[in-house]
Amino acid sequence: MNLPKERTFKGPAIIWKRVAAFVTDILIINFILFFPFRRIITNMLPRFGSYSEAYEFFISNPGYSNKLMVVSLTMAIFAILYFTILEYKLQQTPGKMLFNISVISETKKLRLWQCISRSLFLIPMFPFILLWIVDPLFMIFTKTNQRLSEILSKTRTIETYVIG
Amino acid sequence: MKTIKNKWFSAIMIIFLLAILSFIVSGFISVFLGGEASGGNVAIIPIKGVIIVDNLKIFGQQVSSSSSIIDSIKKANKNPEIKAIVFEINSPGGSAVASEEIANTIKKTNKTTIAWIREIGTSGAYWIASSCDKIVANRMSITGSIGVLASYLEFSGLLQDYNITYQRLVSGEYKDIGSPFKHLTEEERRLFQSRIDKIHEFFIEEVAKNRNISEERVREIATGMFYLGGEAKEMGLIDVLGGKEEVKEIIEKELNISVSFVSYKEEKKLIDLLGELLSEQSFFMGRGIGSSLFDMRTIRGLEVWT
Repeated sequence: MNLPKERTFKGPAIIWKRVAAFVTDILIINFILFFPFRRIITNMLPRFGSYSEAYEFFISNPGYSNKLMVVSLTMAIFAILYFTILEYKLQQTPGKMLFNISVISETKKLRLWQCISRSLFLIPMFPFILLWIVDPLFMIFTKTNQRLSEILSKTRTIETYVIG
Repeated sequence: MKTIKNKWFSAIMIIFLLAILSFIVSGFISVFLGGEASGGNVAIIPIKGVIIVDNLKIFGQQVSSSSSIIDSIKKANKNPEIKAIVFEINSPGGSAVASEEIANTIKKTNKTTIAWIREIGTSGAYWIASSCDKIVANRMSITGSIGVLASYLEFSGLLQDYNITYQRLVSGEYKDIGSPFKHLTEEERRLFQSRIDKIHEFFIEEVAKNRNISEERVREIATGMFYLGGEAKEMGLIDVLGGKEEVKEIIEKELNISVSFVSYKEEKKLIDLLGELLSEQSFFMGRGIGSSLFDMRTIRGLEVWT
């Protein structure tokens, strides 16, 4: 039999797949990488009865806010390391592997700075937190489904489509 | 191109290594950030060594500064999870001002306060203990010693022996009262004594008020004599004979909670710890030479100690 070969092409990954992959990765980060930090946070902070009680506590104890910020930043660094190392080495995270999507560079080879800069939205500080709103909006309204961080880092998240 | 199986293996390995790293980093963070509010519902604030006002470290001597103790009291008081504050006292006393500052802060707290006297809780340390709701001490603990001390060494005779003259240049008759280089006149001694008696009177008033004992009775006890825990209990200077377990029982009974202690200490940065270590080492090295020449610990100048 001389059947024509299966034809494939790479295009922008579908949004729901990207969201599902991201949720999967966040769950892995939360349950594995953040596990030891959760103990620090619960030990560090008392249990509050209400939001006003918590607010009053942080206002009167500025030292706790600083400590909490140190822990949050360290956790963010681990989340960035997770995405950066996996995407740099494998072009995929476990979430992306499950949904068959991967990261490519718009230039030649995927470089480390590109992997870092596409994950900077994970830093819980101004101005990076603005990306939590801006990034998804860019993903929805651009033809290539690219986040702003992806446009700036010259990367794309793609999937392989099979025709025929 | 890596196969899918290989990719999964590599991903698991990377996550595994990151997990190990996160455990190590979190360990370091919990050591350096401390966790004074960690879990417990009863704060323990240590008051150990000589009680002083500022955080000035006296070489090789354990000190408790009123500033850092007050900070810890305030932090514990503001923490909604802390239901009671226990003061672990092992101190011979110290500055009258520092002791009163701490005692006043204790009285302002809205939590149950308990003083737990260990080896020693005399003088200024007892002043602090008396401001707590209850005092627990071992039957052999040393407590009481309600009195004021301002003694000092006078070198005027020594200077005379060596033909050294003290040139008195003062404006204000009593400016150099208590100078170790001149003899204390009878008038100066009387003035000095009247101030010390006044501080002693404040001390007696405070203990009487705090312990709900008549001032006359406290005056009888306040000879500066120390008492063992058992004697102090009979005199009404303490409430319960015992240790940490008894403290726990009192709180559990009074507040109907299951007690979990949490230590509230002064937060020390790494640089402070290293500094302390170095100063202690230097002290012990120099003590051998220094102590044979001059015993610094006996010179208190005009400081008033309770």
